[in-house]
Amino acid sequence: MSQKLTIADFQKMIRRALADVTARAGEFSELDAVIGDGDHGEAIVTALNAIAKVSEAADAAGKDFKTLLGDMGFGVMMETSGSTSTLLGGLLLGMSDGVPAGVSSLDSAQVKAMFGGGLAGVQKNTKAMPGDKTMMDALYPAVQAMQECASDDIVAVLDAGAAAAQQGAEATVQMKANFGRARNYGEKSVGHADSGASSWACMFGAFAKAIQA
Amino acid sequence: MNKFINSTENITAELLEGYTMAFADTVKLGAENIVVRTQPKGEDKVAIVAFGGSGHEPAVSGFVGEGMLDASVVGDIFAAPGAQRLFQALQMFKREAGILLLVLNHSGDVMSGNMAMQLAERAGIKVKSIMTHDDISAGLDAADEDRRGLAGAIPMYKILGAAAEQGKSLDELIEIGERFNKQVATLAVAMRACTHPQNGATITELPEGMMQIGMGQHGEAGQGGNEPLVSADATAEFMVGQLMKKLDLKGGDNVLLYINGVGSTTLMEQFIIYRAAAKKLAAAGVTVADGFAGELLTVQEQAGFQMILGKLDADHLDLLKNYKADAPYWKRFGK
Repeated sequence: MSQKLTIADFQKMIRRALADVTARAGEFSELDAVIGDGDHGEAIVTALNAIAKVSEAADAAGKDFKTLLGDMGFGVMMETSGSTSTLLGGLLLGMSDGVPAGVSSLDSAQVKAMFGGGLAGVQKNTKAMPGDKTMMDALYPAVQAMQECASDDIVAVLDAGAAAAQQGAEATVQMKANFGRARNYGEKSVGHADSGASSWACMFGAFAKAIQA
Repeated sequence: MNKFINSTENITAELLEGYTMAFADTVKLGAENIVVRTQPKGEDKVAIVAFGGSGHEPAVSGFVGEGMLDASVVGDIFAAPGAQRLFQALQMFKREAGILLLVLNHSGDVMSGNMAMQLAERAGIKVKSIMTHDDISAGLDAADEDRRGLAGAIPMYKILGAAAEQGKSLDELIEIGERFNKQVATLAVAMRACTHPQNGATITELPEGMMQIGMGQHGEAGQGGNEPLVSADATAEFMVGQLMKKLDLKGGDNVLLYINGVGSTTLMEQFIIYRAAAKKLAAAGVTVADGFAGELLTVQEQAGFQMILGKLDADHLDLLKNYKADAPYWKRFGK
């Protein structure tokens, strides 16, 4: 039972996300090669490294959540470019918007609001909807499940998000790509999970595991 | 396709270096891939920044200069610049009067533009944007977000550039620009495809003797598909007819009519097209108050053109015609 999420906890979540996504980067690039340019694994590892650089910096522990999240969003946007880092940057800037200023620990309601803000931040940068076979198929249900989670245990909230993200990513196997350039591949995209949904589900899984460990 | 280039990785850097050398009185590189005026506008006036991939010269950097843009931010061939480069330009032009960012509706441009605006907002930079979407090939009733931004952006640069120079506020510029945005329409036609200058790939196949109306500015296919090539008059009359329908023109309306050659269509052909389109407008009682034929936004060696028709309110007409513009590829003496 964990009723507070601290900055140290959040740093662990980012560390675990980088480790778990890096371990599966080859798989994400192979999925991307089916309907894209096959570089998603590299792109998301590069973006998460830029984020981790901010969260591991010497001054990170002294920041409040709002500043740290905002700096992480800024960091990924300024160091890298492309759609993956734009979407992750949007997530973090949105998460920063979702938390009050001056706090360095969050209760479960604030964690839910933080991820709710993250979804809104991503939606500023893409019009993709659930069902389009994108990362939104992992992110949207994850954030929904967190909001609906009745527990005030933060581990339970993050677990609910992780499970919903994983389910959402698996559901993309049957979907036809309906967004961006991938849309042109139509039927060819059916039968493989979306690379972005898979990597974001991996990230949400890592967030939950980092707090349990 | 053979081209006079050196290493394919250096195309953008080399062309910008050459461009700013050729027009050194007017433009210079303010930072890597950021073209600015040599004589900056006063800080008390709104700065206008536009951006886009390279390979479309003279767009966008050709329109940096007095009475037009303050800066253009350049991406790699056919690719939008990243948000960090755009944000760097916004930092350079930070001012109390604010910055107007002009975005052509292409997914990469829109994404970079959005992100740069969010970063700027956090950094306390006052910036607003207008997204241009003049292409009508998605259909006359298509939603704005499904319409691409084509060369209709260039008269927008002139109108807003003149208005900013007159000291209009950021909100006033948005109003003037969004009103023009609703009244400008562009349709493209291609009869020979282009190749990507870095990888040599042909973007859309267009067999000899065929044309495609509605082709995008990276040579990507439109919705009409290939059809047999017809005469200049028949092509121009069909295209101007579609544009007139989109703008719901009536006798007595003032319009601009520009023909933008996209790379290897000769001025000879552009003038013949212009003639047919202008005659059809005149027959409908519409006054062509501002005209142009030549290259504004090109697509390498693609053959074809974009036809731009804009309905002009009195202030739009005044801003287009009566104020000085001194960019390397757009000059007006003014009144």
